[in-house]
Amino acid sequence: MQRLTRREVSALLGAGLLAPLAAQARAADAKDARDASSEDHNAQTHVIDIRRATFEPGTLTIKAGDHITWVNHDIAPHTATEMEGEWDTGALKRGETGTLTFDTEGTHAYYCVFHPHMTGKIIVTA
Amino acid sequence: MINKKLIATAILATSFAMPAIAEEPMNDLEIAHTAYTAGQIDIRYAHLALALSENEEVRAFAATMVRDHSAVNDAAGALITELNVTPQDNGLSQALVKGAAEKVEELAGLRGKSFDCAYATNELGYHQVVNQTVEGNFIPNVTVEPLKALLVDALATFKQHEKHAENMVSQLSCS
Repeated sequence: MQRLTRREVSALLGAGLLAPLAAQARAADAKDARDASSEDHNAQTHVIDIRRATFEPGTLTIKAGDHITWVNHDIAPHTATEMEGEWDTGALKRGETGTLTFDTEGTHAYYCVFHPHMTGKIIVTA
Repeated sequence: MINKKLIATAILATSFAMPAIAEEPMNDLEIAHTAYTAGQIDIRYAHLALALSENEEVRAFAATMVRDHSAVNDAAGALITELNVTPQDNGLSQALVKGAAEKVEELAGLRGKSFDCAYATNELGYHQVVNQTVEGNFIPNVTVEPLKALLVDALATFKQHEKHAENMVSQLSCS
C-alpha cells in the first residue's frame, strides 16, 4: 500500500473520503497494524481513552499481536493516525471505538488528524 | 462576572465591536446562549474559508472548525432540549454577532494569502478570547452541572484549535 503523508491523510479525512470506510479495511493494508477481527487467545486488548483532547495513556507498551482499542469520550470527533499514515482508526465520534492489532515490534508515533497537537506513542515489544 | 478588560483586549485583537457587558454575572441561560453563539460564529467563518481559500492547511483547519463546533453545539442543543430551557440572549451574544458580521464582510473581500492570513489570525485571536472567557468566566460561574461538564469538555478541544491556529499563522508566514 502506498504510504500516505500526514497531509494526505488529513485531506482525505477532511473531505470525508475515509470516514465511510471501516477501520478494518484501512488497517488490513497497513504494514504494522491490522484489524482485530482474527481470534488470538494469547493476545491482550488494551484500551486508550480519548478524553479532553488527550490520549490516555499517552504512551502504551504492548506485546506483538496485542490489540488496542481507542475509545472517544469527547464531544468532538478524533482519530488515532500513525504519523505517516501507515494506519488509522478513521474518525471516531463520541462513544465510538476503533480497534487495531499490532504485529510488528517497534515504536509507533501517532496523532489526531483533526487536532495535530494531540499525540501518542505505542511501543510494541516481542 | 465577565471581565471587561479581557473583552476589551479581545476587541483589539479581533476587531470585534465593543460588547455591552452587564454588571451582573451572566446566568446559566445567558452563558449557554453566548457559548452557542460563539460556536455558530466560528462555523460561519469556517464556511467562508472553505468557500474562498485554496490553501490545503487552511481548508483542513476550517473543516475541523465546522466538525467540532457543530458537534459541540449539537450536544448543547440536546442538553437544552433535555433540560427544557431556553437560552437567553444577552449583550455579549449580540456584540459577538455584530462583530462577526463586520469580520465576515472584511474577510469576504479578501483573496489568496491575504484571506488566509486574515482568517488564520482571526481564528487565533478568536479562540484565545473565547477560551479565556470560557475558562475564566463561564465555567466558574455556571451552576448547572451538565452544562459545566459540556463546557469543560469543549474547552479542551477549543484549546487544541488555538494551538492549531497558532501553528497555521506561523506556517503561513503572515507579517
